[in-house]
Amino acid sequence: MPTCSMKKTKRKNKGGLLPLVLAWGVLLLGNIVSAQIYLPKPAPEPSEYGKVILDNSKTGPGPVVFDHWLHRSMFTCRLCHVDVGFAMQAKATGITARTNREGFHCGACHDGKKVFEGKTIFAACSDTPNTNDQQCDRCHSAGKKGVRKYEYKKFTAKFPKGVYGVNWEAAEKSGVINPADFVEGLSVGKTKMQNRQDLSVVTAYSWVHPVTFSHEKHSIWNGCELCHPEIFPTAQKETTHFSMFSNIEGRYCGACHGKVAFPLNNCQGCHPNAPPWAP
Amino acid sequence: MFFTTKFKTKFKLTIITVLLFLGLAVFCGVRAMGAPQSSAAPASPAQETWRKEFDDVCGKTQDAMSFSPEELTDLIRRCDSLRPQIEKLDESRKKVYLGRLRMCRGLYAYVLDEKNKEKK
Repeated sequence: MPTCSMKKTKRKNKGGLLPLVLAWGVLLLGNIVSAQIYLPKPAPEPSEYGKVILDNSKTGPGPVVFDHWLHRSMFTCRLCHVDVGFAMQAKATGITARTNREGFHCGACHDGKKVFEGKTIFAACSDTPNTNDQQCDRCHSAGKKGVRKYEYKKFTAKFPKGVYGVNWEAAEKSGVINPADFVEGLSVGKTKMQNRQDLSVVTAYSWVHPVTFSHEKHSIWNGCELCHPEIFPTAQKETTHFSMFSNIEGRYCGACHGKVAFPLNNCQGCHPNAPPWAP
Repeated sequence: MFFTTKFKTKFKLTIITVLLFLGLAVFCGVRAMGAPQSSAAPASPAQETWRKEFDDVCGKTQDAMSFSPEELTDLIRRCDSLRPQIEKLDESRKKVYLGRLRMCRGLYAYVLDEKNKEKK
């Protein structure tokens, strides 16, 4: 009798395992799917990284291709995104040929008069646009081969390299590049900013290494008002408000890192003590 | 008869003078429209006044942390009073300077808020 009852119990256990395995499988699948969604996308080639296509009108000389790598080697982010007025979000600037001609946006520097590093900067958007004009093609270059003047590999050949393309921070620090932070007619002469303290941002999970955030490095490029309050509305150090998930979605650090500043896949860039096997 | 002729001559002269004046005005207007001034450059003393105030207020953002709550409140007030002046500008200037004013005011308000939080 006792043997029979034992057999019955075993059968019951087998029946109970199936839903458990199924539930575990569903959970695992869910995890894989969510990880796929929330993992940073692989970064493109450094020459393609930060490329912006400005396509305002269906007529005229065609969309503009803007390479962040070219301009960031000469100017700070702050100069263009604060003083010149380029918004950080797509299609929010309201840039037109007219604003360029009137000395704003691209025309703030590209006016055919300003001289930079001994060269006169070509004028953006003439009064008489010509779709066959090679001058227009310098910027309106989408889908046109051989019209761009500068090529990434050649242009950045002497710049220090990092895990991902040029190490812009090292390039600035070593003096290989000296990004300008003032444009005549728009910028306000400012005194040098006092160094703000660096922060060690404690992460929400014990297995994630803390973030070392340098105010000094960031303020050289961005000033204060580019990040506060629109990108970082709070000074709270915990990651409750700025998680990796929100970064991947393009908020907080992700407003620049993952778009133009070094990509989010470069873990050690922010988490310096992260293990070497991390990407 | 003589009176009528004199009157007619005077009337003609007046019309010619008015037409000449109008022609000159139209010519000057067209010239002014045909050659727009660069918007980035200051155009008139009234515009220079707002620009001076803008440069003074928004030229201090790098020192925002060193200001007292009273100074920050005053800077925010000055930003607010600049806004209607900038809204009256032409479209291109308005686009650029309203954006800059928003960022500049936002920073002062943010620092003030953080300082008030620290006090508590």
